[in-house]
Amino acid sequence: MRPGGTGRKATSSLSIFESSVAFGLITSAVLAIASVGFTLQFAVTNVLNLAYGAVMIAAAFAAYAVNQAGVTIWVAALAAAAVGSVLSLFLNRVIYTPFQRRKTSPIALVIVALGMTLILEFGTQAIAGPTNVSYTMAQGPMLQVGGFALSAAEIAMIGLSLVIMAFVHVLIRYTRLGKAMRATAANRDLARNCGIRTDRVVTVTWIITGALCGIAGAVFGMNAGTFGATSTDVFLVLILAAVFLGGPGEPYGAMLGALVIGVATEVSAAFIVPDYKDVIAFVILLTMLAVRPTGLLGART
Amino acid sequence: MIYYLTTILVYGGVDAIACLGLSQQFGVAGVTNFGFIIFQAAGAYTAGVLSLPNQSANGGFQSYVGGLGLPWPIPWIGAAIVGGLLALPFASLVGKRLRGDFAAIGLLVTAVMFNLLVTNYRPFLNGAAGLSLVPSPLGGVVDPLSGGYQFGYGIVAIVLAALVYLFLRRVTNSPYGRTLRAMRDNDVVADSLGKNLRSLRTSMLVLGGAIAGLSGGVLVGFINLWDPQAWGYAETIVLFAAVIIGGLGNHSGAVLGAILVPLGFEEASRYIPSIGPAGLIPALQWVAIGLLIVLFLWFRPQGILPERRRKLATAGVPAGPVVLPGAGAADELPDVPTLPPPPVVARHPGASAARGEIVLEAHDLARIFEGVRAVDGVTIAIQRGRLTGLIGPNGAGKSTTLAMLAGTLLPSEGRILYAGEDITGLPAYLRARKGLVRTFQLASEFKKLTVIENLVSAVPGQQGDSFRGAVLGKRYWGAQERQNVERAEHMLERFGLSAHADRYAGDLSGGQRRLVELMRSLMAEPQVLLLDEPMAGVHPRLARQIGHQLLALCAEGMTIVMVEHELSIMDEFCDPVIVMAEGRVLAEGTMAELRGRSEVVEAYLVG
Repeated sequence: MRPGGTGRKATSSLSIFESSVAFGLITSAVLAIASVGFTLQFAVTNVLNLAYGAVMIAAAFAAYAVNQAGVTIWVAALAAAAVGSVLSLFLNRVIYTPFQRRKTSPIALVIVALGMTLILEFGTQAIAGPTNVSYTMAQGPMLQVGGFALSAAEIAMIGLSLVIMAFVHVLIRYTRLGKAMRATAANRDLARNCGIRTDRVVTVTWIITGALCGIAGAVFGMNAGTFGATSTDVFLVLILAAVFLGGPGEPYGAMLGALVIGVATEVSAAFIVPDYKDVIAFVILLTMLAVRPTGLLGART
Repeated sequence: MIYYLTTILVYGGVDAIACLGLSQQFGVAGVTNFGFIIFQAAGAYTAGVLSLPNQSANGGFQSYVGGLGLPWPIPWIGAAIVGGLLALPFASLVGKRLRGDFAAIGLLVTAVMFNLLVTNYRPFLNGAAGLSLVPSPLGGVVDPLSGGYQFGYGIVAIVLAALVYLFLRRVTNSPYGRTLRAMRDNDVVADSLGKNLRSLRTSMLVLGGAIAGLSGGVLVGFINLWDPQAWGYAETIVLFAAVIIGGLGNHSGAVLGAILVPLGFEEASRYIPSIGPAGLIPALQWVAIGLLIVLFLWFRPQGILPERRRKLATAGVPAGPVVLPGAGAADELPDVPTLPPPPVVARHPGASAARGEIVLEAHDLARIFEGVRAVDGVTIAIQRGRLTGLIGPNGAGKSTTLAMLAGTLLPSEGRILYAGEDITGLPAYLRARKGLVRTFQLASEFKKLTVIENLVSAVPGQQGDSFRGAVLGKRYWGAQERQNVERAEHMLERFGLSAHADRYAGDLSGGQRRLVELMRSLMAEPQVLLLDEPMAGVHPRLARQIGHQLLALCAEGMTIVMVEHELSIMDEFCDPVIVMAEGRVLAEGTMAELRGRSEVVEAYLVG
């Protein structure tokens, strides 16, 4: 599956456990970017945007088109961010918000989101074709980092994810916009009555989270090696698991959830059967839904 | 040509059966099961392994459990049974008070996971390759490839679909079906009227699962193979699209949806020339299904064939201008006399007990929301036959106290005694069945039930209000239903809403809906009635008339606790009155006494 994966095991003296943790950290890095975006969307608009995975893959294909034109994937990822922003903003402004204004039930909104998933995912497939594609990219030399052997490209992915997490942290803790976002998330009506332009906060949030979603799509494509229009279907479950583990609407919870889910799936892949590596994420998600839907870090009842 | 026609008949029948199952579950009962497709899959696999010979007979080219080689119709029956049984573990997900969309995600994810497991674990059901060479029913007797056999198969599929349709119509048109629709419209309120939500939802999951399983069994006998690709999660969305487009809550709509969406799309693709690169047309089909879902939910959420309004009222509607007592201007109000109140049917021996005795008590009741003590140690004792008022500023904890007394909320601390029995942990529906009934502060009518259906739905102990009763049919429950409708009509007359008996409750004005709710709670034959602002939005003159009615009910032995902001109502009708502030009981007494107490005046009675 992963380029360079098998060669690494042969050449390094790392135990299976350590190398699976290394794999897990890369998955966590991708997952963190995606989950933080998803959970922030839920925080400010109370929508479970199940079309998130479809936006990711559409953005990944946009980056593929730019990449094919000869641009390095690290720059092409910006195209993914742009496409992610535009599609997310469209979803929120044209689809979800009008339905919410009509007091459509959360269940019906889930169905709407699933309908949008079909439209975006198979619209992408109609344009890009049914065959899987790969980015043209160099993995770079293998490097030893803190006991783990990773390729330069993989280290760059983890680094990018860390930079984005730091950006999100600064955004929500130290900026006026972040404060407004938290206020909107806590109580939208109250925030509006306090003079916060909540509609604008929501719009900006969806632009930013859409960019995160797009970047996550590009990084997902890099990490997956090859991908097709429906490749994010299962990955969406990992996102949901990470989001619900930390608590829906909790950005720090999503980061923690991404770390746990990413490492847990890869470690379980190494020690059980690779085919079932995602099952642990399913089990975690279902357990959280059944036992504590507010998540480990969520306090809301 | 004959093959083509029979294929349409079989697929049409199978799709119709599946859509009918989903229509019952989702459209009628409001149980959102995004894992619906796995029940069809379970039925198909079950029928497959029941009819296939032992796996050794395949020369090892496919491996599976079972392989019993059983004759038709056992595989079909097995398919329905396994589909139904598989639903039982799911009941825990939809039975909880989990946010609807969260529960939906749980079921969707479960469907994806099942598919993943079956795909990857070959020994169970032959993994990704799936089952093939599944024997056709009676294949040993008749040649399955003959035109006659295939046509016959199509006819059987259609007849089965028709039988499922008739069965579900029987269930839905019964009092039990009314309860299911009430639960769909507002589950918390149905719970407070004595409906057992968990049991209702479990029944619907099992019924829908069995029907879906049957559809899978019928399908696999015809196409002779079944693999994980046939039941991806997206197939569930197709079925939801069919039911939404056809018309939610209308079984004919479900059949129409089945013909238009799954069948229509499958067949339409035969006629579209394969333009563009490979895979373009299938991809665009999925896009079209997605578009149909979103467009229908926006432009025509009720579907092509909307849910049918069920008319129950027997009495002629009085001629002349329609009067809207709850909302109309004062001079248009009908002169509602203080008629004798509806006779309260004494269902419990305590009903005739002495007036003034304590019937409902709370000891040190507390409820904590995220660390805030919304109710903080409330001890009250409610006397039988009294109209007790409960007042206090906003946020005093009145509604929370009422909710805890009724069981809508469970207390964080404290005890509740009802007729001497500790009911602290008793669920709301069981309290309602003991005669402890509440109304709600926010509008809580069953929107897609008519006014008279709203009323009749609350009658306890209806013969037709169980799955068994519904199946036994109108002959079993019809007579009692007529009595209940008659009672509801008397009630409507008393409150001046006869003209609206057959209108959807959701279409009434705010004040009228308050009346519907009040009447509905009276239909539940309460011993103790907990009213949360019953007069809000009601014309003051009518409010006073309601007050007199309530007093009359109390005189007959009913006990009423009423939260109300209008002090003149309290002055006139309530004795005693309990004042709450900041989660505690501040004082209790007659209004005259309370007005003389400075701390009460400071907290609430200013002005």
